[in-house]
Amino acid sequence: MRSQVRGVRAGERRWGGWRQPVAVAVAAVFLVPLWFMLSGSLREPGQPPPRSPELIPRPLTTTSYDRAFDLVDLGRHAVNSLIVAALTVPLAVLVASWAGFAFLLLAGRARSVLIGVSFAALMVPLTALLVPRFTMFRWLGLTDTWVPLIAPALIGLSPFYVLLFYWSFRRLPPELFEAARLEGMAPFAMWRRLAMPLVRPVTVAVGLLAFIATWGNFLDPLIYLFDPDLYTLPLGLRSLETLDRTNYPVLLAGAVVATAPVVLAFLVAQRYFLHEERGAGWLGR
Amino acid sequence: MSRIVLEGVRRRFGETTALDGVDLEARDGELLVVVGPSGCGKSTLLRCIAGLEAVDEGRVTIGDRDVTNVRPAARNVSMVFQSYALFPHLTVRENIAFGLIVREEPKAEVRARVAEASELVGVEALLERRPYELSGGERQRVALARALVRRPYAYLLDEPLSNLDAGTRVQMRTELKRLQREVGATMIHVTHDQVEALTLGDRIAVLDRGRVRQVGTPEDVYTQPRDRFVAEFLGTPAINILTPEQARPFGEIPAGSVLGVRPEHLRLGDGVPARVELVEVAGSDAYVFLDGGLVARVEAERRPAEGEELSISFAREAAFLFDAETGERLDR
Repeated sequence: MRSQVRGVRAGERRWGGWRQPVAVAVAAVFLVPLWFMLSGSLREPGQPPPRSPELIPRPLTTTSYDRAFDLVDLGRHAVNSLIVAALTVPLAVLVASWAGFAFLLLAGRARSVLIGVSFAALMVPLTALLVPRFTMFRWLGLTDTWVPLIAPALIGLSPFYVLLFYWSFRRLPPELFEAARLEGMAPFAMWRRLAMPLVRPVTVAVGLLAFIATWGNFLDPLIYLFDPDLYTLPLGLRSLETLDRTNYPVLLAGAVVATAPVVLAFLVAQRYFLHEERGAGWLGR
Repeated sequence: MSRIVLEGVRRRFGETTALDGVDLEARDGELLVVVGPSGCGKSTLLRCIAGLEAVDEGRVTIGDRDVTNVRPAARNVSMVFQSYALFPHLTVRENIAFGLIVREEPKAEVRARVAEASELVGVEALLERRPYELSGGERQRVALARALVRRPYAYLLDEPLSNLDAGTRVQMRTELKRLQREVGATMIHVTHDQVEALTLGDRIAVLDRGRVRQVGTPEDVYTQPRDRFVAEFLGTPAINILTPEQARPFGEIPAGSVLGVRPEHLRLGDGVPARVELVEVAGSDAYVFLDGGLVARVEAERRPAEGEELSISFAREAAFLFDAETGERLDR
């Protein structure tokens, strides 16, 4: 037993020495393209891409941003994207957590069937559903509105989010819910007052994933939206690309505008990922 | 009246029968300890009384009211779980008040009853802390306060002392007994620890594979076990079981029976020759392991040396005769 503990500790030490360089290498893989996107957006409009990597462009200018906003109403598209995300993300979190909690409360067989169905749904490619979904929304007269973009939130946006919540709720000691049942607490109150406060990091993670998925959603707006006033930011970027196809600094400025909110959201949310609700993993033993 | 009666209660999980026709009564104001080995159905029994498990057959009555098909909250019982089930995101005060808040009791009433319950178990100084800031004993007290605050008909305790260190367990055992006397409520306490059962219970019920083997006062059950299982389960070290061949030097016993002799009834110094193989000192007592698999319990000061040749005997009236097949007691 003691030798096992020693082995684990030695393993931690070995890994501890490598952790920092590995983390830096992984971060670099993700940060380098972001940096070149940012530095490229600060070049003068109309300039071709540099022949060799350019960390800081000379001259440094923000005129590409002015040009991008002149060509396309990126501000309006960003606001549209924000409205769609503001409606979709809370709804997706709400429904996914309800469904996950319902899985927890269900009897064994029904739960197994639903988990199986969720996994099966995860395996269906989204593109396979494009035509039937479009037909359905056109029949309902909801094309050229934001409803088709927001509607998937009514089923939790993705079965993955439902399963994430279910797995998190399942990690909590069942005695907590049994104690609440003995006190006469209804399932909805259990979800709101016990389950959700104890899975806060997962709630933040699902919220962030749902935000990224909604914010970056290109295909659904492309199919359902025809009125430019309703366009979301990914469609704005496509317009930019159509209007000035080879103007890389301008295209990259648009890309920075589209990426910045996601990076910001991640920076704000990461402290919740790294900070497990104190005592949430505690079993009281 | 807050007596609890189970009549012919059965509970199955697939092919496994957890409770097999349990008949049991916890009298009004009594501390009944249900004791048995792991997996014997103790916790299931408690959960059936609480309503957390449905009963397949039989009847559960609390205070003369049939609650077999009544939802848990309407049974008006409190339960203390083995893990205490304290809500980690709530303070001690909020944990204790939880049941009252759910039942929407007036705020002043909640305050007064939380103060009363926390004083009763001695956690009034911990009210603003969170459970992860408490020791095991403190958590246990908070769980008790949460059970007490509602003033239910009865209390169900599912191995609440099993997670405590030995010292705290002894202290909490005494406190639990005092608390039960003060509150005067019916309590059913489940444990696998025979010492806890024998010291704590007004009566004890020994459970084995979903069946109640014997119910009685701790003294009765220990001194007059109904069968071999009860005799073997209670007592440290376990009772010596002698086959007719092993028993012959001490006197004949009927064929198809075995003889049970408690280690403290085995006298060293006269009778049948034996050799001491090992001696374990446990405080004031010593356990003397003899050849042939017999164990004697003697005062530590009078223990023999390992390897010593001596002779042993016991009073026949202190031994129990069991059927070798069924384990039933034959000499009652």
